[in-house]
Order: sequence, then C-alpha cells, then structure tokens
Amino acid sequence: MHGWVAHLRAGGTTPWLAWTDAATGPGTDATTAPAPSGRALPGAQQLELLRRINVARQSGAQPRGDHDRERTRLADRVLAAPAAGRGKADLPLVGAATGGFGAQPVDPATVSAHELLRVASTLLADDLVALGPDRVRRGVPRPWRHRFRLVGDPLVGAAAREHLLGRGRPEGGPLAFVVAVGGPIDELLAHTWTQRCFEHGSKPWAAWLRFWRERDQLPARVDLDDSIRRWGGRRPHVRVVTDLAQLPPHVGVRRLPEVRVPGADQAELARRIAAVVGIRVPVGERPALMRTLQKRMPDSGVAPVVVPAAEQDWVASSAARMTRALTRAGYPVVGDLADLAPHASDATGLSGHGGADDRQVLELAIRMIVDPGWRTGRERMVQR
Amino acid sequence: MSRRVLLHVGCPKTGTSYFQDVLFRNQQVLREHDLLYPADRFDAHFLAALDLMTLPWGGIETEAVGAWDRLAAEVREWHGTAIISHEIFARATPTQVERALASLGDAEVHLVLSVRDLVRQVPAEWQENVKHRSHITYAAFLRTIRDPARDSRIGSWFWAVQEIPDILERWGSSLPPERVHLVTLPPPGADRGELWRRFSRTFGLDGLPLDLTAERENPSLGVPETSLLRTINERVTSVISPPDYRPLVRETLAHQTLSRSTSSPRLGLAPADHAWARELSQRWIEVLAQRGYDVVGSLDDLLGPDAVPFADPDAATADELLPPALDAITALLVEGARLRAVEERLHRELREAHEELERARATTAFRARRKVVTTLENSPAGRGSLDAYRRLRGRKG
Repeated sequence: MHGWVAHLRAGGTTPWLAWTDAATGPGTDATTAPAPSGRALPGAQQLELLRRINVARQSGAQPRGDHDRERTRLADRVLAAPAAGRGKADLPLVGAATGGFGAQPVDPATVSAHELLRVASTLLADDLVALGPDRVRRGVPRPWRHRFRLVGDPLVGAAAREHLLGRGRPEGGPLAFVVAVGGPIDELLAHTWTQRCFEHGSKPWAAWLRFWRERDQLPARVDLDDSIRRWGGRRPHVRVVTDLAQLPPHVGVRRLPEVRVPGADQAELARRIAAVVGIRVPVGERPALMRTLQKRMPDSGVAPVVVPAAEQDWVASSAARMTRALTRAGYPVVGDLADLAPHASDATGLSGHGGADDRQVLELAIRMIVDPGWRTGRERMVQR
Repeated sequence: MSRRVLLHVGCPKTGTSYFQDVLFRNQQVLREHDLLYPADRFDAHFLAALDLMTLPWGGIETEAVGAWDRLAAEVREWHGTAIISHEIFARATPTQVERALASLGDAEVHLVLSVRDLVRQVPAEWQENVKHRSHITYAAFLRTIRDPARDSRIGSWFWAVQEIPDILERWGSSLPPERVHLVTLPPPGADRGELWRRFSRTFGLDGLPLDLTAERENPSLGVPETSLLRTINERVTSVISPPDYRPLVRETLAHQTLSRSTSSPRLGLAPADHAWARELSQRWIEVLAQRGYDVVGSLDDLLGPDAVPFADPDAATADELLPPALDAITALLVEGARLRAVEERLHRELREAHEELERARATTAFRARRKVVTTLENSPAGRGSLDAYRRLRGRKG
C-alpha cells in the first residue's frame, strides 16, 4: 500500500485494484513496500481524491507554473486532510493488511462523491483561510447620498450593498428609506439559501426548505413584511421593489451591477466549505471569507437551485399570505405585488430535490483544487 | 514541559461526564498537587476534540477554533502531570492521532480508555442517539450497527467510538502496552464508588482532597421515556434547530424531566442480540488479554450481565407513553412560563428605557432640532449640509 501512496504522490493515476494486480505479479512487492515517511496511512477517501486530482491534472487544465514540488506539496496536503464531519472515519483499502478491526476495507474507486467531498471541502476551506478576505472597497461617503436600508432578496442586497459602499453610498443613516427587494417567492427562497451558503453555511437545500415548510413560516429575509417592520419602516419611507430594473433610483444611483446567481453546485460546495471554515476561524471572520469565495469561485454552468414541485403548494400559499400582508400595510410598491407569486423555474440538470448532484459538486471542487487560479488571480469582476 | 500526560480518549457512556466534572471543579486542588486539568469551561476538552478532528457539531464547533493547539500548548508547558479527557477522542483517525501525540511534545504519554460491556453500551448508545435528535427505532438501530458494512452514519460512529480493540490500535499502537490503561466499568450492582476508585487509581488521584459531589451526570432514561422522546423527535427534528433542541428537548425534557422516572423498566437487549453482543465481547476480551495492557478492574467485566426480560421500546403502548407524555407537557409549560417571565421582564426594561429617552427628548429645544433635521433630510442639499455639520462637530470633538 505504501507503494501506491508513493505512486499517487508522484502524480500517478492507477486505481488501487489495478495497482495491486500489477504489484502481485512476478518479482514485485509493491503492497508491502516500506512507508515513504513512516507516517500514518491515509484512508481510501484521501487516496482516491488524490488519484482523481492527478487524473484531472493529466487531462488538461494544467495549472500555470506546475512542477514536482508543488504537486508533492498538494499531494501531502490531500493525504493529511481530514474528512470533515460526522461521516465515516478514514476507510482502509481492500486487500491491504489490517488488524481485523475497524471499518470494512473498500475499493477506493467505489468511495462515493459525498465522502470525497468531505476531504475536498477541508482542503478548499484551508485554501480560503490561507488566502484571507478580499479587501472591500469603501468610497468616501457622499454627504448628499440617499439614505436607504436594503431588505429582502439577500443576493441582490449583498451585491448592491457592496457596489454602493464602493461608490460612497453606505447603507443606513438617519431616516433611511427601507427598500424591500422582492421577486417570485420561490426565487427569493433559492436566493436566500444560496446566500446563506456564502455567509455562515446552512442545512442542505432540501432540509432547509422542509424546515420552513413544516413550520409554515418564511425565513426572515424572505418575509418582506416582517423585514420592513423589523427595520422600523413606516409609510411613506418604505418601498417594496419587485421590478429590479427600477431599483437603482431608490438607492440613489442610476444603475446597479447585474447580480450573478451562483449555481447549485457552487452553493452546495460553499455550504460544505463554510462548515469547515467555521472551525478554522472565529465566527465573525467567516462571512468576509465566504464572500471572497463567492466572488472568486469559478463558474461551472450548473443552474441555481430551484424549489421542487413538491414544495410549490406551500410556496404559493406563503406568497399569497405575504402579498395580503403587504397590501394591508399599504406600502408603496415599485412594480407589482403579483410578481411575488412563484414561477416554476427550470430544473434541467439538477437532482430531484432541486439542488446539485454530489458528482457535480465534486467536479467543481477538484477543479478548484487543481487550478489555483481562483486563489492566485485577482477577484473576479462581476459587473456586466 | 509536562513529564507525563494522561490522555483519556473514551469510551462514551462510561462515567466520563462525572469524571470530567470532578476534574473541572477541582482544578485548583489538582494544581496544588502538580496535576493539570486545563479547562476554562466544562466542555473545553470537547471543543479541543472537535478542533482536532474537524468535526462540525450543530454550531458548537465555532467556539472550538484553535482549541486543540491551545490545550496542547498548556499541557506542554506544565511541569508535572497533565490530564486530557474526552470520550469523542475515541473516534480520531490514525492521522489525527499522530498529530495529537506529536503536539504533546516529549512527555511520557499514557493512554486511558474506560470501557463498558456491549450488553449495556448498545442500548446506552441508542438512547444517546435519541437524545441527539435521532428518531431511528431501536430495531433499526440494532440492524444498522450489526450490519458489517458499517455504511451508515450511525453505524460508522458507533463502532468508531465503541470498538475497543480498534480504538486501542489507533491510539495505542505507538505506545508500549504498559502505558495503555484499560479501566473497566464494574458490573451492575457493584458498589457505586468502585468506578471512581478505578479512575482515581489510574489517574493518580488517590488521597487528594477532591470534592466528589455529583453535579453533572448524563442520566439514562427508562424504556417508555426513550420511546416517547424518539416519537417526539419524529415530529420536531426537522423543525427545531440544534441550538433550540439542546435546551428544550435534551435538557428540559430528557435530562431534567424524563430521566427522573426511576421505576420504568431499563432498556436491555433481546435474547438474540444479547447472545451476539456476548460473543463479540468474548472475542475482544481474548484479543485484549493478548496485548498485555494495564487493566484496572477485570477484562471479565466486558462480558456484560446475563440476559434479563426484554422490554421493547418500539412496542411501547399508548398507556405506557401517557405518563411520561404528561410529564413532558407539564415541563414544557413550566419552561414556557419561565421564558414568558423573562420576556416580560425584558419588555419592561425596554419600555422603561424608551420612557427615559422620551423624557430626555421632551424639551422644546430638542423638538425644534428634530424638525430642522427632518426637513433637511428630505433634500440632497439638506443632507449634504447636515453631513458637513456632523463632520465638523465630530472633528471638534
């Protein structure tokens, strides 16, 4: 087994079973070769992830400035990385010598994407912590700026808030208008969960939806009426904006950057990374790191999460209830409250629960491990 | 630098909560006798374990950042004997064990594992799962842990923290056997002080003037109580977050209410499961005897008690569930009333603060200033003037 570890450290891609077949041939004894460093043997999760990383390196996308030392350093990091969370402990390899106790040995090729992701998310979290948060641009505050407080859609809110801060228009101030950004409620739910993944992390998409559906409540940022009241919004200093094209003047600018909605695989990977970042840095530092990740994560073309058909009835009734509350409150509306009604989004390429498949997430994770461009490059500009 | 480190890594459900509480409350006395138990809070070593093993735990892990390295540093700097103790260390992988031992420096490390027979551990672990939000039935739990594939989250965790020969292989393979100490739990019916005496002897606490009052234990539940809690979990696990579950369900319901019923039948194993547990335990005893560890107690303790009549929690009737259910409703109403009183007090304090503020603002001068500010805030030029005024005033301090 030590021979296979050395093979993988050297960039090899031979699967374990093929390696042992070759090793048991005449004149070879690779399965019992001495340990290269005398260190504890990693589990099947770490070894298989390293093999797949090596495959990805060989199959194109070679990072700039690739060389042996860098490859070995990455390999050692992969082999030492723990599989985060309360899943399986490190799994022994089938055919390798064990003491007869512990988990059943496995063929590493059969280790699930979920298990490999537990290791990959640890590596990426450590990369992110090492990278540190991107500096947030803060323009000199314009004294004559329009005072606003953005609530509602957190994806739109986060992007607008940062843009406006850079333009010298920070949120808040005395007698600020409460601007509630709305939209189809199923999209609001998807955006809220996605943004949570890029802040403090969250439950998985399906469990998060179930949590709110069984409570028959809406998350704080989706419930516009509650958000407005929480921020002390009173007529006429409130705007409910359902038409995003008309949002800029209500925050005192002519235009805002287009909002990039992360794909389901990006959000799920961020969710897993956030869990590990939470154990690596003080809790207050996590959102800035996760926002950095949000801006730097490479695109993969996978669609954002969507509310599955099974949840649509609850979503529709919640939208109707919120529309009634906003109508009764009589807040000025920019757009039409009818736009809060859900519209079934296209779930092509997503799994049955409307989220990403583990294999899609793993593919993205391996891509980010192999190509450090997201760490070494400058932050991506998302204005379109 | 510590001369000795006593590293207690498990197992769960072996009296560890009580032991750790005694160490935590007696830190000063221990220090006076050159013994270090470094903990600024009761769960300090739990946090260190989460950190060492990169183990998210319902949000608590955010309080564990750097906890292992801090603990290891304190231990390295101590001149005498240091004690580290938490049962979930049992789950560490070989790589994590290697890191843990390396970070303790050159101290003479002694590994301690407190162990109890499977006949009692299996039901205790199911109860522990139920107290941690699980609603798996007892039958399904037994099927899961008896599945040799150990493919499930519950199965893999159970064996990682309960398979004694494997834990000792992971933690003890680099240590001479005389530095690996196996503390067996006495059989049922033994003198209540016997377990403490075994811990005390192993950790060198004999003769120290320690306060041994039991302030913190992890009480077990009876069969109908556990069955009720599992049924409640079916309803609430998906709608109550871990930070709410811990105080409301685990503490208020399980520990403070349902565990008080001592007359309910205790959970055991059905005859077939009992035979399986005994057979497996026998194999472990033989392996452990060959390894030559220092055993405090007797390896025979690991065989477990004889089979007793089995009360099946999955078959608990509505009549059996009713009394604990009424106790649970009462406890939650009392807790609800207590929280209402807290809420009312906070509202009162807030109201008083508002009233004080209003009194301060009730002057003519303040009302005039507010009118000017409101008027100016309605135009860009006014906002600019106000901002300039505020900056000027700020600069002048």
